[in-house]
Amino acid sequence: MGTPSLRLPAIIGVALYIALQAHKVYADSIPESADSVIHFTKEVEVSAKRRPIATVQELSGPELQSLSTTSIADALKYFAGVQIKDYGGLGGLKTINVRSLGAQHVGVYIDGIRITNAQNGTVDLGKYSLSTLESVSLYNANKLDACQSASEYASGATVYMRTRRPDSDSLSLTGRIGSFHTYMGRVNAQFSRKGWCGFIDGEYLNSKGDYPFRYKSEYEDTVGKRKNSDIEYGRVEAALFKNGFSSHLYYYQSERGCPGGIVRRLSDKYTNVGREWDTDLFAQASYQQSFGEKFTIKANSKYAYEYLRYCTDYPENQNTARVNNHYYQHDAYLALSGAYFPTEWLSINIGYDARMSWLDADLKVFHPVRRVDQKAVAAGQINYRSIRLAASILYQHYKDHTRLKVGAADPLSRFTPAVSVGYTFKDLTLKAWYKSIFRAPTLNDLYYTQVGNRNLKPEYTRQFDIGAEYNYSSPGWMASVQADVYVNHIDDRIVCLPLKGTYTWSMMNYGETYCRGLNMTASGRYMTGPWNFSLLTSLTWQRDLNRTDPDNETTYNKPICYSPTLSFGITAIAAWRNYSLTVSELHVGERMWSYADPEDVLTPYNNVDIKLSASWRRLLASLEVNDLFDVQYEHIPRYPMPGRNFRLTLSFTI
Amino acid sequence: MNHKFKMLTAMLSIIVPVVSEAQERIILLNEGNWQADNGKITYFEDGKIVSNQWFRDVNGYKLGDTPNDIIAVNDNLIAIAINWSNIVQFITPDGKAVAATEDVPNNRKLASDGDNVYISSYGHECGIDGKYVEFTKGYVAKIDATTFKVTAACEVGYEPEGIAYYDGHLFVANTGGYAFQEDHEYETTVSIIDASTMTVTRTVDTGQINLYGKMSQSGKYLCINSPGDYYDVQAATIIFDCEAALGGKPDDECFTKLEYAATYNCVTDNGDFYAIGSRYSYYTGQYEFNYIVIDPAAAMEYGDAGVRDDFPGTVLSDIKKMSMPYGIYVNPYTGYIYATDAASFAEGGTLYQWSPEGKLLGKFGVYINPAHFLALKPDGYTGGVDDVVIDQPDTDSPIYNLQGIRITNPAPGQIYIQNGRKFKY
Repeated sequence: MGTPSLRLPAIIGVALYIALQAHKVYADSIPESADSVIHFTKEVEVSAKRRPIATVQELSGPELQSLSTTSIADALKYFAGVQIKDYGGLGGLKTINVRSLGAQHVGVYIDGIRITNAQNGTVDLGKYSLSTLESVSLYNANKLDACQSASEYASGATVYMRTRRPDSDSLSLTGRIGSFHTYMGRVNAQFSRKGWCGFIDGEYLNSKGDYPFRYKSEYEDTVGKRKNSDIEYGRVEAALFKNGFSSHLYYYQSERGCPGGIVRRLSDKYTNVGREWDTDLFAQASYQQSFGEKFTIKANSKYAYEYLRYCTDYPENQNTARVNNHYYQHDAYLALSGAYFPTEWLSINIGYDARMSWLDADLKVFHPVRRVDQKAVAAGQINYRSIRLAASILYQHYKDHTRLKVGAADPLSRFTPAVSVGYTFKDLTLKAWYKSIFRAPTLNDLYYTQVGNRNLKPEYTRQFDIGAEYNYSSPGWMASVQADVYVNHIDDRIVCLPLKGTYTWSMMNYGETYCRGLNMTASGRYMTGPWNFSLLTSLTWQRDLNRTDPDNETTYNKPICYSPTLSFGITAIAAWRNYSLTVSELHVGERMWSYADPEDVLTPYNNVDIKLSASWRRLLASLEVNDLFDVQYEHIPRYPMPGRNFRLTLSFTI
Repeated sequence: MNHKFKMLTAMLSIIVPVVSEAQERIILLNEGNWQADNGKITYFEDGKIVSNQWFRDVNGYKLGDTPNDIIAVNDNLIAIAINWSNIVQFITPDGKAVAATEDVPNNRKLASDGDNVYISSYGHECGIDGKYVEFTKGYVAKIDATTFKVTAACEVGYEPEGIAYYDGHLFVANTGGYAFQEDHEYETTVSIIDASTMTVTRTVDTGQINLYGKMSQSGKYLCINSPGDYYDVQAATIIFDCEAALGGKPDDECFTKLEYAATYNCVTDNGDFYAIGSRYSYYTGQYEFNYIVIDPAAAMEYGDAGVRDDFPGTVLSDIKKMSMPYGIYVNPYTGYIYATDAASFAEGGTLYQWSPEGKLLGKFGVYINPAHFLALKPDGYTGGVDDVVIDQPDTDSPIYNLQGIRITNPAPGQIYIQNGRKFKY
């Protein structure tokens, strides 16, 4: 017995990803803000005329910059229906889960091209900075642009990060000092001339991450400082744009500690010593061209390289196998899509995507795996008077190649549909949609040594949503309210489970989830003279039920672990001339983390963040206080989050 | 309570009870979830769960992360190996914490001679008298049960797991279980250590890799599980004859290999082993389950032919219905049978109790991953030996070792318990 201690360290990356989720929320919604300013093609002209029927939340421009954020995970937690899973500290893995579908059902896109990870299917949001972004939006189901690539239809929810297109020449230097020995420096050079624009952005961060924490209960009063929670990274990005052409180069390199859970120990002698190194590189380009009023075509291409090293091979490591594993991934992607507008009220979108992924690792009993993933989509939209109708059918085909002795999984081919309807009356839009989509088992799920299972089926989700949206604007005022009720079914969940009667674990299709929820966002803006006020609120009420085993009274129809019933967020921003003050409050309700004991719950928490910014001429300064009341909380049991912390940022622009 | 009454009647034939209090007393370790610091002890007494967090109740603090083994050192002391906390915790039979040491990190399994605790470790360092000693492979440490200090340690194979004490020697099953990640091969050996000098006196090669998991002892016989590597090497059970190994017999006469998995095994009150488990292959994704009763002497002689499946009463059919069997145990004092179902690792498991005849007496909700058992002596069983009036000294009554395991082949010179008294055979 003692299975966990022998086998789990090896599969931490797999098992923990799957078993755990955590939670936070808040939101905003101005569906198509700024769209018409930035894009120039047919797509936007159309979207400017029409009412949206996509379910979307967006943070952009000044509001995005007013939030107290370090990575896009911090911005996304302000959206309704979003749960962020965070192992704590700047280096802790941060993933997003939307409406309890699971992190692997959320596609994350930069300028319309997906960030992929064939190995584990999740994107660590901590690696992406907000500083170069114009907006971050979250779409439930499809974005419903007229000309989309096939892969944009292929996830349960999508996060779009849109890179800012500079409109002037400048050079800026930024320095930041933060709690827990955190230092950051950034340089940004941008230009804009003759229709071309672009930037180079470089950032370096070093943080010891030695934050204090405290566990206090009837059975303990544990006080300590987080150890092995440091991170050092460098990130360089460059982008170049002209009209329908956009390109992006991204390089990220980091080294970080991987701290473990806080457990009973007699002294500080033994702590987790695991460390991780990442190198991520991608180059992508996209081109979109319209031909008259009738046709638009778009081509996307991308190459990505990912390197990960995980090492526990240190003399101090007494607790796990001493590993020093290296993982390499290459990913090449090409997509073509076209839109045809036969009449004023009809548009047709077709697309084809091909992606090839290679994974190699120096694991035992492992051989390189190559995956070819092809997708094709046919979609149509009708926009007739007050009525809108969108329907799409997506075909996906996956085929793996490997010399692993277990053999490659059987090829996977599936069709999945989605349909949306909308009706607009004055400022009110009513909408409803349905989407069925699956996630294919990742290469880890299928082939990881001593865990993988090549017989896995895809994990399916079916989502139903009915919503209403009301927008109001008048001189000085803008308000928007959005409410959606939804029902999700998730079948054949891919999870890591111990195998009956053995000492080993394996990936399996096990579990069904049934979720019902309500997402609401309301926002208001008021401008008068030099004053500018915004209030952004969001609320998530959700009931996720475990529908796995009808014979199991303990778990059947009981809430899913880590899922809070209620969470909400409120952000208030006040700006006067060159000063702005942002106060945000996030509440996350109680979450159970096991069915075994009513005491196995994560307590509700409130997080209050404050950010004060001021600019004088070329200098911009901001002071942030996060977790003002030093609330101790956690997303994953025994992985404490940092309490109150400060950040001072100075930025100088030439 | 019917079973209590029955058992009492059984006791009456052996001893005259002074005061009959609790008879069926079981401590059960719930491993909890890895890195969640939620290892818990269940204390079960006469058909009732007294507490599913006994250690917390008694001591006011938590046990730690992933308790992995528990044994009785002597009448007054119990040792618990808490793997991920790197703690060996000593408690009294009342659950009161006595001492704890972290000198043996990554500790695995326990054995005792009544005065010392012997513990296997996957780690590479051991604190001996305040100094840290390094080992390339794994090791076994000896802890003095009066000072709770490590007095000696001795290197064995990589990742040593099961450990048993027999005739002044320790028998240690080596796994090499980190072989699927580290730069060494699986181990196939049993290391034999002279417990007094803490030196390896012999290493027996079984030819079967990864001697991992539970090890049970029945007199001179050991039941050792091997899960194989889940790829090319199938799971197997090794029945090991300690006497033969100490007597200098060649390696292949010291053990027999059975083509069954013994993932969860225990010794019964008549000296057989119960073994349940499955053989799994990542190539096929298929399981092959087995539920067997092993008479070790017959297995040594006839191999697989010495294996039966005559579990008493409904024990077998009840276990087959479990979703995730996680432990099996027979109370050496009373013959009552126990097994646990871990269900999914996010919910509390279930403790099953059967009478010695295999009648299901009850199912009890426990905590996450209930795995490791220890029976306490029934009240009056040996408590205050001097006060017990022996009705008719009965030389045919069962003999137990100090771990409370019934012994069919006692070894000369060893201390045993018979009729509630310690004696030297």
